[in-house]
Amino acid sequence: MARAGVSGVDGRGPEPPEAHPAHRPVVGAVLVAGAAAVLAAAFVAIPREDVPLPAIARQALTASLPRWHLTEPVNAVVYGMRGFDTFGETFLLIAAVVSVVVLTRTREPRRGYIGEEAAAKEEREQIDPSAAPDATQREARSAERVERGEDRPDTPDAVPLGTPAPEDAEGMTVVVRTAMRVVAPVLAVCGVYLVTWGYAPGGGFPAGAVMLGVILLLYAGFGYRRIGLVVRPAPLEVIELVGAAAIVLLMLLGLLLAGSFTANWLPLAPPQTIRSGGTAQVFSVGELVEVGAGLTIAVFALLGIRHDWASDEDEGGTQQ
Amino acid sequence: MIVVNYLAAAAVFCLGLYAVLTRRNIIKMVMGLSLMEASTYLFVVSVAYRARSTAPVLLNPQDGKTPAELAKGDVADPVLQNFCLTAIVIGVALTAVFLAVAVRVAQHYRTLDADKVRAMRG
Repeated sequence: MARAGVSGVDGRGPEPPEAHPAHRPVVGAVLVAGAAAVLAAAFVAIPREDVPLPAIARQALTASLPRWHLTEPVNAVVYGMRGFDTFGETFLLIAAVVSVVVLTRTREPRRGYIGEEAAAKEEREQIDPSAAPDATQREARSAERVERGEDRPDTPDAVPLGTPAPEDAEGMTVVVRTAMRVVAPVLAVCGVYLVTWGYAPGGGFPAGAVMLGVILLLYAGFGYRRIGLVVRPAPLEVIELVGAAAIVLLMLLGLLLAGSFTANWLPLAPPQTIRSGGTAQVFSVGELVEVGAGLTIAVFALLGIRHDWASDEDEGGTQQ
Repeated sequence: MIVVNYLAAAAVFCLGLYAVLTRRNIIKMVMGLSLMEASTYLFVVSVAYRARSTAPVLLNPQDGKTPAELAKGDVADPVLQNFCLTAIVIGVALTAVFLAVAVRVAQHYRTLDADKVRAMRG
């Protein structure tokens, strides 16, 4: 941050005048003080902890057991009564995951001839192929070799400090890795427990987050290269869309069989059993698949951004 | 004294807003947005709270109460807890999108200073 702040001030000469940040703390403080005053005035005046529950909350509490056989009203609200809202949220999540995937997409294997050879013929003829590479090319090639790890020593300890792309330390010590091997299955079972015993607090969203946590724990312990072999985007994307399709199908069957979108059409098992809740429980499992796979795709897409196309040399040049 | 929670949520929100308004480092702006998100979680869960209440779970209600009796006021508001759950998931997904943009900006412009990212100007 210090570097960014300093460069904003130092770059006064070539920078356009808007870059001068001196007014910002003042303007920011005034605006924030205004927002704080409005928020404080509003928050002091709103109902506090001693008012009775609103009608919608009482409705949710009273309808949870008879209508959904769920002893957990939050789950009954999320996957039952406000199922349509959760349905929309599911696709908001998918939209966010698709954005991340599109933004972070790396080079893909070629799938067909698109004619670069013919298109670049003219330019190629202007360049002498036997000429020695100039400084820019040499720098770019050496950067590529570094990124591919070809110039690296065999062990991480031999890498000099300050080397770019610090992805050499492959994993943590054997103690940590062994502990993770023991803990990860237990945590994964806890995640599945959260979603299957849906009549107790839990559900698909927390369970999906737990699953992501297990994968991140393994990533922290074993390093990207080993986990990246298992956690690959292609199968995960299929899993996520299967989860989303299952949710759509579940909701549509409600429309066909029970008369309204998101309505329950499964027979309700007795309360406090795994299948109590009918479609709410299936929806919860669908959300586990959807959230777990979606967040894993998003996080690993970010972790997997490795290849860097811009060269270091044009720093400053991109601003014009 | 749940109003203290409300005011704490307002304070966290303003902290995040100040960071977004005054910092030009994109990562810090994302952190500010995350703070603003987190303040809404605190606020929504605090609004759901009721004095001397329990969690909204109907498993073995005490004193042989029925769910209808529980609903008269001894539990927290489940609908607002649902809102919070929704907000958390959306917040995580949006933070991932922001960070992906930040990484791409850093790769393309070689800086995280939002003031220098102005190729689209004019």
